[in-house]
Amino acid sequence: MHICTQRERLIQALTKVGGVVEKRQTLPILGNIHIHADDDVLTFTGTDREVEIRTRLAASVIEPGEITVPARKFIDICRAVPDEAEITFKLQSQRASITAGKSRFNLSTLPAEDYPLMETSSGDQSIELEQGMLKELFDKTGFAMANQDVRYYLNGLFLKVQARGVTAVATDGHRLAMLEQLVDLPIDEPIQVIVPRKTVHELNRLLESGGERVRLDLSQRTLRAVIGDTLLTSKLVDGRYPDYERVIPLMADKVALLDRDALRQSLLRTSILSNEKFKGIRLSFAPNELTLQAHNPEQEEAEEHMEIEFTDEPLAIGFNVGYLLDVLSVIDEPRVEIRFAESNSSALMRGAGREDQTYVVMPMLL
Amino acid sequence: MDVSGKMAFGVMGMLPPTSACSGGFQRNDKRQNQTMKSDTKSEARQKSIIHLDMDAFYPAVEVRDHPELKGKPVIVGGGRERGVVSSASYEARKFGVHSAQPMATAMRLCPHGIFLPVRMSRYQEVSRQVFEIFHSFTPLVEPLSIDEAFLDVTGVERLSGPPREIALKIKEKVLDETGLTVSAGVAPSKFVAKIASDMDKPDGLTVVPPDRVREFLDPLPVDKMWGVGKVTQQVLARLGVRTFQDLTQIPVGLLERTLGKHGAAMHRLAMGIDDRVVEPGHETKSIGHEETFARDILDLEEARKEILSLAGRVARRMRREDVRGLTVSLKIKYADFTLITRAVTLTEPVDDSGEIYATACRLLEKTEVGRRPVRLIGVSLSQLSSPDKETQLRLFDDDRASLKRKGLTLALDSICDKFGEKSIQPATLVSKT
Repeated sequence: MHICTQRERLIQALTKVGGVVEKRQTLPILGNIHIHADDDVLTFTGTDREVEIRTRLAASVIEPGEITVPARKFIDICRAVPDEAEITFKLQSQRASITAGKSRFNLSTLPAEDYPLMETSSGDQSIELEQGMLKELFDKTGFAMANQDVRYYLNGLFLKVQARGVTAVATDGHRLAMLEQLVDLPIDEPIQVIVPRKTVHELNRLLESGGERVRLDLSQRTLRAVIGDTLLTSKLVDGRYPDYERVIPLMADKVALLDRDALRQSLLRTSILSNEKFKGIRLSFAPNELTLQAHNPEQEEAEEHMEIEFTDEPLAIGFNVGYLLDVLSVIDEPRVEIRFAESNSSALMRGAGREDQTYVVMPMLL
Repeated sequence: MDVSGKMAFGVMGMLPPTSACSGGFQRNDKRQNQTMKSDTKSEARQKSIIHLDMDAFYPAVEVRDHPELKGKPVIVGGGRERGVVSSASYEARKFGVHSAQPMATAMRLCPHGIFLPVRMSRYQEVSRQVFEIFHSFTPLVEPLSIDEAFLDVTGVERLSGPPREIALKIKEKVLDETGLTVSAGVAPSKFVAKIASDMDKPDGLTVVPPDRVREFLDPLPVDKMWGVGKVTQQVLARLGVRTFQDLTQIPVGLLERTLGKHGAAMHRLAMGIDDRVVEPGHETKSIGHEETFARDILDLEEARKEILSLAGRVARRMRREDVRGLTVSLKIKYADFTLITRAVTLTEPVDDSGEIYATACRLLEKTEVGRRPVRLIGVSLSQLSSPDKETQLRLFDDDRASLKRKGLTLALDSICDKFGEKSIQPATLVSKT
């Protein structure tokens, strides 16, 4: 195997597939990238056996072949050699000899046939979306996914694909984020899948915010995304997503309208003296005024007032300030709407007038 | 360094010329230290922290209970075949015996040693006595383990005298009431106090006044630093860092790049900056159980069974102490003594054996268990908190099934408490005979 290509293009391809390779793995070969060279095309593959990314790159292939090399080291070498360098990769007696300008590296390899490539069966149903649309779904809901929860089905993003569009839902059991993108899709039966957390992050990394298309092939167990020359294949989370519609507080009748940035600033200031572990903040809503209060185990206190639009009966409600700030960071509208019913039931937040977005936060008892 | 002129470390007199203590830091002269005159004037907000560490605690208790063992190499630990040394008396340490060493090695090094099993309940009893003494000096006692604690004695000078005198009084009282010796380190921060208590073991007392902290730390080798093991030491050695002083002189950015967050923290500590407060009440930092096996475990399924049993024991102790844990750790020691730990921090604290088991099994996938023989497995939970402090409400309320399960779990606990560990257990753990 003997190939030759240009540094920048190589780095671009390698970083696409390198992200899925875990830093710590139980099998040495899972720390490697698979390289296939034939017909002046290089194919790179990285995997953690749950999600696999494969990308192609035109290059001059002097001698075809396939091999695997340590991902981190290979990427580090390519990054370290001078800009615009021409990189030559040649296999010599089970070692990869990499040369660029005056540098030469001799890298260990493992046989390509031992690499756990995923099967590439096509999905039952395919849809095409604008990349930016999918990216927005991920960006605006992904933060609410659980991480390493015992309820493994929460460690992912729920996607519901129907004829009228795509809905994304994420929840960690304390808060929930939901966003709907309306678009006509050639779908007969709605499809529901749970995409693993890592896949969401990796796929999101590959997406551009513009109108370029992404194709999603969905089946019972796998998701495949095709973005230009790059292909992501992922196992799906096998489990039943909780009945999220039941926890959206449709009956919440008290409504406050607040300035997003002012609220964020007030929360940040007040949180300085909140309990470091539980991050509780008390919000007291009164006609046209909101009072924010926090205190910590050292009995230090913070209090802040801000003007709001609110005309209902006064009510105090406590929240983990982190959950509120997470929501504010994904709302684009300058004004935020908070709906709630009582101190110990959930609150609903959204950008003013944005019926397509739903953020539900459970309160804390303070 | 002019020690005598400044009456440097709060202790009057010169260092004994034979002192092994480098840098001239005054250690306990065991009788003379009653004679010191004045303490270093403390600054307004300067803290006085004492770190107390019982000397070879388990063997010391055994010797006290069995006076005929006095002066003999006493080694407390697990089974002879596969267990490890929990603690060794100073007499035994001379033979190269140390804690965490396999019992078999200890027996080879010290064939005439007195090998005793661990009597945890007895040590706990004595520990309670010792902690009561600590508490009689200040309520600010942070236990680190059964035989080790930090005391914050800032501001109790008027009542009990300067920190050094308090440390002496504690040492005296512990010896009087329990017959055991304890080593003390007195310093303006936890970090320095802990290092100081180790300088002159056993029965030591080392006082580091606020204005001499850097002088005390600078010459120390970096392996005294908290969290610096062999690997970090190698990394540091490559950077030319051997002492604390070297550490302070290296750019913090470089440390951060090579060692991550820990690097920056080390830099601060080496400078003597440590604002951590003594936190009383944080009694238990983690709850765990581990098991060394009579035969190495080769089979993944068998490892899971052991984990199920360990998870059950951990969960039961957590419920007894009414705490839940956020971080689950799995410890694996392979047959060749390579030790690895895999940990995960959950979104919500747990105390249920099923959840601990499921989480530990997920961690098991990140190990080589099943492909490499295993000698020891441990399961522990840390980041503990009391359930009553958790007031975050949930979106998906605990359904009836899980409430029922809670009732069942508590019933099982009470059976275990009454009839012993193995009286009732998951069917997979009942061996067919």
